[in-house]
Amino acid sequence: MKTLVFAERSEAAIRLAAGARTVANEVVLVLIGELPATVGSADKIIHIALPTGEVYDNAADTVNAVFDSEAPDLVLIESTRHLRVIAGKLAAHVGTSVITDVIEFDGSTPVSMYFGGVAHRKLKASGVSILTIGPSVFSDVPATEVAPESAVIEEAAWVAPSAALELLEVRPIEKSGVDLFGADVVVAAGRGFAEESDLELARDLCSKLNAGLGCSRPLTEGLDWLPTEAYIGVSGQMLEPKVYIAVGISGQMQHMVGCNRAETIFAINKDKNAPIFKQCDYGLVGDLKTLLPALSAAL
Amino acid sequence: MKIAVCFKVVPDDQDILVNSDRSLDYSKAQQIVSTYDLNAIEVAAQLASTHEASLVALTAGSALIDSSKLKKGVLSRGVDELFMIADDACTNMDALATAAALADLVTKNGGFDLIICGDGSADNFARQVDVQLAAKLGLPVVTSASKLAIEAGALVVERSLEDVIEVVRVSMPAVVSVTPDAALPRIPGMKEIVAAGKKPSEVQASGSSVVSALEVLDCRAPEQVARKLQVIDASQDGAIEQFVAALKAAV
Ligand SMILES: Cc1cc2nc3c(=O)[nH]c(=O)nc-3n(C[C@H](O)[C@H](O)[C@H](O)COP(=O)(O)OP(=O)(O)OC[C@H]3O[C@@H](n4cnc5c(N)ncnc54)[C@H](O)[C@@H]3O)c2cc1C
Repeated sequence: MKTLVFAERSEAAIRLAAGARTVANEVVLVLIGELPATVGSADKIIHIALPTGEVYDNAADTVNAVFDSEAPDLVLIESTRHLRVIAGKLAAHVGTSVITDVIEFDGSTPVSMYFGGVAHRKLKASGVSILTIGPSVFSDVPATEVAPESAVIEEAAWVAPSAALELLEVRPIEKSGVDLFGADVVVAAGRGFAEESDLELARDLCSKLNAGLGCSRPLTEGLDWLPTEAYIGVSGQMLEPKVYIAVGISGQMQHMVGCNRAETIFAINKDKNAPIFKQCDYGLVGDLKTLLPALSAAL
Repeated sequence: MKIAVCFKVVPDDQDILVNSDRSLDYSKAQQIVSTYDLNAIEVAAQLASTHEASLVALTAGSALIDSSKLKKGVLSRGVDELFMIADDACTNMDALATAAALADLVTKNGGFDLIICGDGSADNFARQVDVQLAAKLGLPVVTSASKLAIEAGALVVERSLEDVIEVVRVSMPAVVSVTPDAALPRIPGMKEIVAAGKKPSEVQASGSSVVSALEVLDCRAPEQVARKLQVIDASQDGAIEQFVAALKAAV
């Protein structure tokens, strides 16, 4: 079996190449734009150099040409916003659909989430399978890092894009510095917080527990009370802390998949029928405005 | 100028039940407009009003989606007209099939300068229909748009990517998919809802045969990690002490 691997970032280039090796005897790594310092071990690297000022997405026609000449049986693509466009255009070219955000892959049947984790689906493509997949799916596979120079590199001929975008500007997104991955304890605030100032109650609890403050999606999107990096769930951060304390969070699956691998889950909610109480270890039914100060005082 | 906005109708996931064999039961779930498509409709409505453009909403799905409540809901959000394919042949389409059905509607009702899609649907969240639709129509596509403006007959789009904001210009017609933070959906008032009932909407037959490339082999709720489920009312004697003790033991 021959597998084509696309990655935008170095870590994914390493992990996906290693993962591809577990299911295929021939691995071809395709890299678009500047080559990262280290990549994964592949039989061959195909480099698509981006002409100056060209948008990443404009490489799609070149990618389709590479696909046609390599004729792989399987395509693994890192799930980034740029590469999802490349993946979609490739799928349209081939006449299939991409199996997206694969969370498990045994080489034959990819598994994806449905309704943000309400269910898991096993999917099958007619013809070649094109998967978008994150590096963490192959985190248990031993991977070797190599410098691209030490591999066989083939330069792909640039195919002029048929539906081009013109690049005007690129500017970095200022990150908040919030990093919940290192936190053993995470306190997560939800829409049960009626006012932004009430978040102080959660911050007090955090300082007692040396915890990181996270949240459900509505608090970053729409309300803007906390930075994007703080929201937990299927489209945000997927965490595995020792202790997770959900406060004023209803427990919708899209949120819970981001925390349900925590060792112990605590929940505070004023609605005794909130779904979170069917997914926690310890639950306290009551108003967060009185309970959070009481907890902070008792700790 | 003519703008089209695409939306998907999905069962409301808050009312999806899990059967004992962990398969899903949708019988209690209402059909609703997928959450992020409401943001796309809002972006389209604001652009249409700024540029005095007409706004048409497009969707394709099973026969279930042909509901007057649903259509009114969409038409009360600044949309002038609605076209849908509501056919059981269009049940659970993948991106390839959805794009083909939407492309049919675009071609038939023609001449759009701009086609707006949402970030991803609540069910599949594949984020692929935008790209496939553009490919089918032979148009450029810009995804992850958090801001867009029409300047001198072209679109200027800010894309929110993982680490950077990328600003691009693209000629029209084009397909653009917008992130949820591009605009917050309005809450339609009584006046808009009444007016929506008088706006035109049409159910059209699917022109081409709808063929999905993906087959679902299995769809089941994941096994849940067994949790202790010790839930107590805070007003109960010693409730807080118990909770704190458990917390101290866990950290
Ligand atoms: C495609 C898609 C992707 C999504 N991705 C994510 C994601 O990654 N992460 C995410 O979080 N969401 C995500 N969502 C949204 C998700 O479906 C829910 O809407 C969201 O998680 C709900 O947030 P919440 O629990 O804070 O708010 P709500 O559901 O409104 O719950 C608020 C809770 O607070 C309780 N409460 C209210 N007042 C008090 C009080 N005074 N004291 C105690 N409790 C109180 C209420 O009883 C209620 O249970 C996604 C949705 C879609 C469609």
